[in-house]
Amino acid sequence: MSGIAVFLCRCFGEVKRVIDLDSLQKEAERHNDVVSSAVCESLCLADDIEKTASRIGESGADKVVIGGCSHLARGGAAVDALVERGIKRSAIGLVDLREACAWIHKDDPERATEKAWDLISMEIAGLHHRRESDDVTVSVCPEAMIVGAGPAGLSAARTLAQMGFKVHLVERGSNPGGMLNLISHVYPSDEKASEKMKTFVDEVDKNSLINFYPKAKINSITGFAGNFNVQVSSSGGEQRLRAGAVILASGARVWLPHGLYRYGKLTNVITQMELERQFIKGPREIKTAVFIQCVGARNHERPYCATMCCPSSLKNAVRIKEENPDARVFILHRDIMTPGSVLEAYYRNALAKGVQFIRFEETNPPEMLGDEHVESVEVFDSISRMKRTLECDLVVLSTPLIPNDDNVKLAHMLGLQVDRYGFFSEIYPLHPLETRMDGVFICGSARWPVSSDNAIVQGEGAAAKAAALLGSKAFSALSLSRVPGEKFGHAAVNAEKCTGCGNCVAVCPFAACRLQKMGRKSIGRVNKLRCKACGNCVSVCPNGTVQLPEQDYRAVAAMIKQAFGGDSAL
Amino acid sequence: MKILIFACKWCGLIGADGAGKKRIQLPTQFRVIPVECAALVEPDAVIRAFASGMTGVAVLGCHLGGCRFNHANHAAIKRLELLKTLLDATGIGGKRLLISFGTAHEDHQYAEVVKTFFDELEAMPSTAAWIS
Repeated sequence: MSGIAVFLCRCFGEVKRVIDLDSLQKEAERHNDVVSSAVCESLCLADDIEKTASRIGESGADKVVIGGCSHLARGGAAVDALVERGIKRSAIGLVDLREACAWIHKDDPERATEKAWDLISMEIAGLHHRRESDDVTVSVCPEAMIVGAGPAGLSAARTLAQMGFKVHLVERGSNPGGMLNLISHVYPSDEKASEKMKTFVDEVDKNSLINFYPKAKINSITGFAGNFNVQVSSSGGEQRLRAGAVILASGARVWLPHGLYRYGKLTNVITQMELERQFIKGPREIKTAVFIQCVGARNHERPYCATMCCPSSLKNAVRIKEENPDARVFILHRDIMTPGSVLEAYYRNALAKGVQFIRFEETNPPEMLGDEHVESVEVFDSISRMKRTLECDLVVLSTPLIPNDDNVKLAHMLGLQVDRYGFFSEIYPLHPLETRMDGVFICGSARWPVSSDNAIVQGEGAAAKAAALLGSKAFSALSLSRVPGEKFGHAAVNAEKCTGCGNCVAVCPFAACRLQKMGRKSIGRVNKLRCKACGNCVSVCPNGTVQLPEQDYRAVAAMIKQAFGGDSAL
Repeated sequence: MKILIFACKWCGLIGADGAGKKRIQLPTQFRVIPVECAALVEPDAVIRAFASGMTGVAVLGCHLGGCRFNHANHAAIKRLELLKTLLDATGIGGKRLLISFGTAHEDHQYAEVVKTFFDELEAMPSTAAWIS
C-alpha cells in the first residue's frame, strides 16, 4: 500500500494559535493521496517522533509530510529522527508552518490557514516526483600529489610521508625549496633560509615514499576525490600519476614595480628580492639605505596587505645596521604591519637598533632625486607634516606577492574558485585549508601570501586534512558535501534523451559535467563525486535531460500548480 | 495577488526563517518554494509560474561571490536577466520577475524585499485579463 501520512505539529500552541489545525487535518483526510493524518503536540519530543514512526508503519504510508517548524529550527532534526527510523529522506517532506506561516501572519488566521493548506498540498504534490539520487561508493587511492615544493609543499610532503602515505611532489623549478632558494635569511628566527629548508629537503632525498618530479608541468587533472588522474610532463618525460588527494602549494610570485619610483631606470633602486640575492652573495657595505613599503600594495588595484613585506624590510634593515653600525637606515611606510608578539618584538628591536621610521600618505608618495643613481629621496612626513630629504645610496622597494598565472588554469581543471585577485579560495570561514572540491587542499602562498613559518604550519595542516581522506578505504558520493549538512543529491543524465549540446559542461562550476562519445553521438555525463547539486546544468538543459532526482522539474511544476489552491489556469 | 518565491536554502530561506522568528508581519499572498541554489530555478519554471496565474515571481539567492557552489549564482543571474528581457518582450513585463541576490539573507531584509515587491506589483496593472 502506498500513500502519504500527514503529521501536523501543534508546537505547544505556537502554530495552533493562528492556524486551525483541525480543519487542516480534515482537509488532509479528504485528499486522495493521504492515507493517514494526525495532529501531534510537539514533533521535537522523542516520544512524539516514536509515535509518529509507528503510526506511519501502521498506516502503510510510504511518504510523510510534516507540518511544523522550519528546517533550521527543529524541523531538520525531526526529519533526521525519522530517517534514523528507516524512512527514506526523499520520502519526507517538511512544511514550515511556524516561521513561514503562523508567526508572520498572526493577524490573519483565516488566510494563514488557507496558506498552510496550500503549502501542505504543494509538498504532497511535490513528493510524488521526488526520488533519491543513486549513490556510488569508490575506493581511495592512498597516494597524494603535492603541487609545488616550497616550504608549504615540502612540509606537507614530509608530514604525509611520515604517516606512511606515498607522495608525488611536483615542482616547476629544478630544486626543492621554492622561494626560500631566493632569499638569504628568514624572519623572525633569522635563520639561514638554506638551513631552514635542510631538514625538509633531506627528507625528500632519503624518504623513499616521496617521489620528486623536478621541472614538471601539469597538463591535466581529471577524476575526483580518492581517484585523481594527473598528467605531468617533467624532466623524466610524460607521466600519468594517480592520487587520492591533491594539495596545492604552488605559492605566489613577486610583483615587479615597473614604472614606480623610477624602478629599472635608476641603478640603485632595487626590490627586496634583489637585495636578498645580494645578501646571499655575502655582506655588503651600505652607508644609507631607504626602504619603501607598500609599493603596489594596499592601493586600488591590489587593496590587500601581503603581510610579509614589513617583516622582511625590518629583517634587512636590522641586518644592514648590524653589518655597519654607522649606517643610516630609513623605512618609509604607510603603516607598519607586525601582528603578534613575535613580530612586534621584531619591530621594537629594529627601533632599538636605530632604524628610523617615517610615515607617508598614499596620495603623497616619496620622490626619487638623481639622474642615473638615486642621490636622495624626498618624502613628506605625514606625522610631523614636514618635507624631508634623505640622502642615500640604496633604495629598496617592498612589493607584494601576487598569484601565479597558472592558478586560473589549475582552478578550471579542478573545479575550484579563485578569489578576485587570483589566489585559491578556501571554504570561508571554517575550513581554511580545504576547497569546495573534495580531495583538493590548499596551503601556503597559493591561498594567501604568508611567511615561511606559516607556510610550514599550513602544509602540515593540509597534510593532516588530506590524511583523513587518504586513510579511509572507501566513501560514498552522497557523503561528500563541502557545504554544511547532508549533500542534497547529484544530477543525473537520461542518456537516451541527451542530445549532447554541451550546455551543462559550459556552466558546471565544479567541472563535473563532460561529454562522452557513445557510438556516433556524444552524451553528457555527470560525475557523481564532483557534483555538488547546485542545479546549473538542470537549468540550462534544453530538453530536461539532466535532472536532480531530489527536486526534478515535475516536482517544481506540481508545486507551482498547487501554490494557490490548485485553481490555476494550467 | 499571487506571488511565488524561489528561495535558496542558504540565503533566502534563512532570511525567511529569521523573519518568522522576529514575528515580522507580512501579507499572506505569497508561497515559498525552497531550492538548493538559485541556479536550480529553471527559466521554464518561472514561465510556468506566470502561465499558472502568478502576479509576480521572485528568485532570492546569495551574494555574487558568496555562493557555496563556486560561481553557480553568476550563471543563474545571467540566465534570469535574460529571461527578464524575454518577459518584457512577451508583454508580461520583466518587472514582475524579481531577482534579488544577497539582499534577503537577514530577517528584516527578507521582509523588506517581500513587502517592496508586493507594493510594486500592486502598482502595476491587473493580470486578471490574461487568464480567462
